[in-house]
Parts: sequence; C-alpha cells; structure tokens
Amino acid sequence: MSSIKGTSGGDGPMAGWIEGEPMYEDKQLVIRHTEPPNGLSFSGVVDLFNADAVARSLSAELAQHGDLHIDLSKVEFCDVSGIRALVSAAEGANGSGRLVLHGLPPLLQRVMTVVGWGELPGLELCDCGTDVI
Amino acid sequence: MYSGTKDFVARTLPFIQGGLKAAEPVLVVTGAEKIDLLRNALGRDAKAVDFADMAHVGSNPARIIPFWQDFLDEHRAGRRPMRGIGEPIWAGRSAAELVECQRHESLLNVAISSETPMWLLCPYDTTGLDPAVIGEAILSHPFLTDGFVPGPPNRDYRGDEASAAPFDVPLPEPGSDCHEFPFGPGGLTTVREIVSGFAYGAGLSPSRAADLVQSAHEVAVNSVRHGGGRGVLRVWRDSDRLICEIADGGRIDEPLAGRERPRAGAAARRGLWLANKLCDLVQIRCLQSGSVVRLHMRI
Repeated sequence: MSSIKGTSGGDGPMAGWIEGEPMYEDKQLVIRHTEPPNGLSFSGVVDLFNADAVARSLSAELAQHGDLHIDLSKVEFCDVSGIRALVSAAEGANGSGRLVLHGLPPLLQRVMTVVGWGELPGLELCDCGTDVI
Repeated sequence: MYSGTKDFVARTLPFIQGGLKAAEPVLVVTGAEKIDLLRNALGRDAKAVDFADMAHVGSNPARIIPFWQDFLDEHRAGRRPMRGIGEPIWAGRSAAELVECQRHESLLNVAISSETPMWLLCPYDTTGLDPAVIGEAILSHPFLTDGFVPGPPNRDYRGDEASAAPFDVPLPEPGSDCHEFPFGPGGLTTVREIVSGFAYGAGLSPSRAADLVQSAHEVAVNSVRHGGGRGVLRVWRDSDRLICEIADGGRIDEPLAGRERPRAGAAARRGLWLANKLCDLVQIRCLQSGSVVRLHMRI
C-alpha cells in the first residue's frame, strides 16, 4: 500500500490494521483498503442511499482478493439495506471468498440477528469488537 | 369464555390434560399467576407442558404469531396434532395495545389456518374484561367453546377473508403538541436526527433510543421505496409513551406484514419485522389516504 493514512482501530480491537487509500467514497461513507489484514475499513453511514454501490465494491474486492476482513467499528449507522449489501456480496462470492466482519456495533449485531442474517455461509462475525460502541 | 382465575383453571385443565393423554405437544401462553396455578393443578404432568409468560412474549402483540409459528415449526415433524392456549388480552392493557391485540386475534385466523393441525384456545375473562372486548372476540373466533370440546362453528365469526382484510380503522389523532416533518428520498438522515433528538429528549436510554431511530429509519425507507418516494414523520408524547408516526401514499396490504420471520435467502421486507422486535408497540394501518405506521416506546 503506497499511502498509509493511519491505523484503523486506534487502541481498540482493530489496533494495528493499517489503512490505505479510499476505494469508495460518497457524502456519508468512506471505505479504505486495509493491509494487514487484507480488507476494508468502513466509516460513516451505510443505508438505502449507498447500499447498491457498496455491494458492487465489495463484490469486486471479493472476486479479486478472496477472503476480506471488514472493520465496521466506525460505522455510525447501518440499515437493513446496508446489511443486505454485505450479505449479497458474501452470497455472490459463492464460496470463493468470505467476508469476516469485525467490530460490529452492538445494535448492528442485534439487527443482523433479528432480521435473520446472523448466520450465513460466506459471512463470519468476529466477536472481537462487540464492546466497541 | 371464563369468569375469574379459578374458573380459568377449571376450564383449561381438561383441555391440557386431554392433549397430554394423546401425547400432543401443548404450549400455554398466559399470565404468570395463571401459569403457577396450572402448574400446581397439573402436578408432575406440568413438566410435559411448555409455558410462556404472555407479558413477556406478547407485550407487543405482533410478536405472538411468530412465537406460535416457532412452536409449530418445532413440532411439525412429529406429525401429531398440537394444542395451544393463548391469552393476549388482560384487563390492564392500554387502549392502543388492546386494539393491536384484537387485530392479532383476527390475524391468527390467517397465520394459523383451519388446516393447521393445532387446536388453539383463546381464553377471555368475562368478569375482568369490558363487554365490548368480549363482543369483538365473538367476531374474531371461528369456534366458541366452554373449554372442553370444540363448539359448533360460530355463526357470528366474520370469516377468514374479512380477518385478512387491510386494517383500515383510523388511529386517534395526537394532541396539539405534535411535531410534523415531511421527508423525501434524501431526507433519511434528517428523519434519524429528528427521532434521535426526541428520543433523548424523552429520556430513553441510549440503546432504546437507537432502537427507535433504527425502526423509524426502516419504516421511512419503506416510504421511499414503496410508498411513493416520500412520507410525513410525526412525533409526539402520549402520557408515558413517545410515538413516532410515518405516513405515506403506499399500501401495506399483506395482512401478516411484520409478523413473518424473514427467511435467510428471501428478499422480503424486513423493516416492519425489525420494528416489531425493537419497539414496544407498532400500529400499522392501510387507509384510503395511504399507509400509516406508529412506533411506540415507553418512556
């Protein structure tokens, strides 16, 4: 990664993740490459407005790199459309790569479970960051 | 129909024991006091019966149908008929809760059709409840019984089709201290900010405030996607409740919207399901003017 912008998680569970250039940016969300681990870090809001764009970006990354680690600890808000974007990207990878979600804010984790997307092949929830708000 | 707690036990006990004798799965969902009395009366047999506290399961009555569905799913493979007792209405229910309980009782006829191999008994306390509540119960139940054997078909039952018809009974208008905010496709952030402001102002805990914000957002998303692209948010306090209402030009005409557990692969609407899980009460209406969803949170 040519341009290092800092670490992703500060002193939190994602400490040591190195963030690079944004691979996606809109008025409410920035997604940056991270390495290590091979993944992406989200900060901002994922909702109806940008869910399709996020799903496309994730699918492209999964196709190129296989397993992806996603830091969600800086997600301020994520709605059902946003969760669907993660789920559809994971499903679309068809076993060739998994999404490993880190640092899920507690409400997001609860919402994923309530809407029936808590356990899916291709989607792994790492409990490393459940205490991060 | 029964009168008083003693009579409740006398009338439901043979129904439960009959189920146990036939090795049928039995689930009883009622108040904690009645559960204790039934356990005592059943003695050792109580272990074979599933009990659940209705105050917990059905504080929001829209969560009761999924609870029965889980019971059915769990026991369907056993190929035995099932028995259930469900008592969602008790004397202390608020007016808004009571209306939703009555809607729930009607929708049970849709969710658990007459072909479902389950005999579900809905006890009503004639001594504790208003006669109008008993009157509505007569309209919403295909059979009336004294609790031992199925009665003849109830001629006053409004029928399966009418039970599933869009719920178009208008909601009471809020008082003067009601705040109104129209929103369009780009207004979801504003909807969240407004609801969050009122939630904190009303003293909701951070996690309950977040639940309300998430629910209001999902309902507003439905307005943007299915309700003509826009809607109107109204927020007010009603004694011990904070209420957020989202109205739009769409139609929520699936009778079980918000009451069917989303399947992992399905792309079905999840917003109302989520709201029912996160909010204390959700009222859904399909009016001539469009659809209305009210989210209630106890303060």
